[in-house]
Amino acid sequence: MTDVAKRVIDAGLNLLDRQIIDKDGMMSGNVDDLELTVPEEGGPPVITAILAGPGALARRLGARSGAWLESLHVRLHPSEQPGPARIAFGVVKRVADHVEITVSRSDLDVSRFEKWVRKHVIGKIPGARA
Amino acid sequence: MRKVLEVSLETLAAIGGFVDIGDIVANSETGARFRMSLAWGGVLGVIGIVLYAEMSGRVATLSHRPVFDLVRERLGARVALVNLVASFFINFLTLTAEIAGVAVTLQLASGINYLAWIPLVALMVWFTMWRVKFSVMEKVYGLLGLALIVTVVAVFRLHEFHTIVREATNLHRPSTEDWPTYFYFAIALFGAAMTPYEVFFFSSGAVEEGWTRKDLMVNRANVYIGFPLGGALSLAIMAGAALLLAPRGISVDHLSQAAIPVTFVLGKLGLGILIFGMGIAFFGAALETGLSGGYIVSQFFGWQWEKFVKPVDAPRFHLVILVSVILAAAFGLTTVDPVKVTEYSIVLSAAALPLTYFPILIIANDPEYMGDKTNSKFSNALGFFYLVLLTAIAIATIPLMIITKAGA
Repeated sequence: MTDVAKRVIDAGLNLLDRQIIDKDGMMSGNVDDLELTVPEEGGPPVITAILAGPGALARRLGARSGAWLESLHVRLHPSEQPGPARIAFGVVKRVADHVEITVSRSDLDVSRFEKWVRKHVIGKIPGARA
Repeated sequence: MRKVLEVSLETLAAIGGFVDIGDIVANSETGARFRMSLAWGGVLGVIGIVLYAEMSGRVATLSHRPVFDLVRERLGARVALVNLVASFFINFLTLTAEIAGVAVTLQLASGINYLAWIPLVALMVWFTMWRVKFSVMEKVYGLLGLALIVTVVAVFRLHEFHTIVREATNLHRPSTEDWPTYFYFAIALFGAAMTPYEVFFFSSGAVEEGWTRKDLMVNRANVYIGFPLGGALSLAIMAGAALLLAPRGISVDHLSQAAIPVTFVLGKLGLGILIFGMGIAFFGAALETGLSGGYIVSQFFGWQWEKFVKPVDAPRFHLVILVSVILAAAFGLTTVDPVKVTEYSIVLSAAALPLTYFPILIIANDPEYMGDKTNSKFSNALGFFYLVLLTAIAIATIPLMIITKAGA
């Protein structure tokens, strides 16, 4: 965290659209959007979470392709009104070429589709674990 | 010594790996119709791909990030999505053409109709991507693809080298063809050399193999030596068609006609070697395009890709590959003409390139990523020239396609 706090970073350029890498060095989605919160005590908004996955990307795309992706996300998601997948900004370890986080991707909400594909498609093909 | 051996092996593999069905079709067709008068189109394409492949390899090595990752970062999600859809579509056409192309070479070798071979070829292509190690895969088809040198041997045996050089250096349009058709085929040759998958595959490969600054020498050797020599193989195919097909008024509508010059000069043995070389070259390109489809989709969404992790650890990447290969095989089985699919894929290639090459050029100048390895003034001038040229081509392609009825 201190590493992040010391440097001035441009959220649009150094954070947005960057690759997220989990604690095991696995690729875990892109920074599709950022959640900004205005502190109650006032002052400039701070980044409280990384938003990732189709739910977040859909809003960035806008227009028809965004609406299509949004409806796909809502339809396939188990909960009634799913928002975009959140990754609390507190788990961010380092912002460099990639955005490194301190948790495993298997604990992230954004990995839902990946888990499904692993369990139902790719994991069933012989040799997938070798 | 080991390093020298490794570099020469890789460079040799780069020569054999350079040629694909687009190069064979475009060069035979234009040789048969325009003799050597369009050789400049191929040369222009080879210089362009050398320039941008070197840049993308260098960028991937120093930033540890492949091309489509950077496309998304620099162009933003929306424009990058447009690029993704266009590139994926063209890449899919190329994948279909390569799979069908391998099947046609098997038909030429066995006499059994190519449609019967498509499912088997698709299965082999998929299985290789599923199981075989990246570095092994790349070297094997690259080295075996060197069998295509038989095309150069055939041209030398004809002892007409001065005719080829004279025609290639004398820019003129044959009186039997009009200007739109002439430029349409120039775009085809240009696009055949610069197909989008090449930089996707090359830069993703650099990340897969974990290239470091030490490997920049290998990168340069592959690109500066391997690619132009691969381009020379393409020109030999054009020359063979110009010398033997053009005078007899034979046009190339089928891959077997592309094999006539070598067969004429070197007989059955030559034909056998050529068919083997073509089959391997198309198979290698099918692997490159199949993987590229998985690479660009995964890189756009930030999914785990890389071939060196187990498939269960990159399930979405492997899903994209699996679905692409199945759909390509299905499209091939509709009896769509493989040569026509190839023609459309190469002509549309050039049109899709500006949105990929622009971010590469920008990042290659960013010292934050590149340190002391940013572009030279010369690379920048040339890079900018190609960007302007590609944009002009992107605008001209569709109207030319309509005016010339796709070069008919």
